[in-house]
Amino acid sequence: MASQILPLELVDKCVGSKIWVVMKGEKEFSGTLVGFDDYVNMVLEDVTEYDGSGEQVKLKKILLNGNNICMLIPGGFGEENS
Amino acid sequence: MADNASEPAAASKDPSSFLSEIHGAPITVKLNSGVEYKGELQSVDGYMNIALENTEEYVNGQRKNRYGDVFIRGNNVLYISADK
Repeated sequence: MASQILPLELVDKCVGSKIWVVMKGEKEFSGTLVGFDDYVNMVLEDVTEYDGSGEQVKLKKILLNGNNICMLIPGGFGEENS
Repeated sequence: MADNASEPAAASKDPSSFLSEIHGAPITVKLNSGVEYKGELQSVDGYMNIALENTEEYVNGQRKNRYGDVFIRGNNVLYISADK
């Protein structure tokens, strides 16, 4: 049990690499994780925003509110997790 | 962890340093409703309450209004984007 990895440690391992963020509802974001805080508010770079209708929006750098984040997947959008 | 001070990449690029980086700069704030506000970031607090100057309101990508100063309550904020 001493070697258990905390959930946020897993997120910290993703800093500097691509991450796929699935929000509550339809929205998803994919980008490079720059940093995050204890609320899992995230700073993302070279972001693509996917809304439910298939429309994509490119964003250079954002601070994403952690409030509506549902799931984080290491690797970019639609990539298989290694 | 988020409080891991020995991780320089995370320590220097966490949300609060991003906010100090974009202070005074043109930004876009998107709300959960989809409405966007473009303006100059005056200040942000820990709730993500935001004060913007010279703000333009966009609904469905079309400009609907202009305001000199706006306060946006943080619970509505989806993201803050730097306009670069």
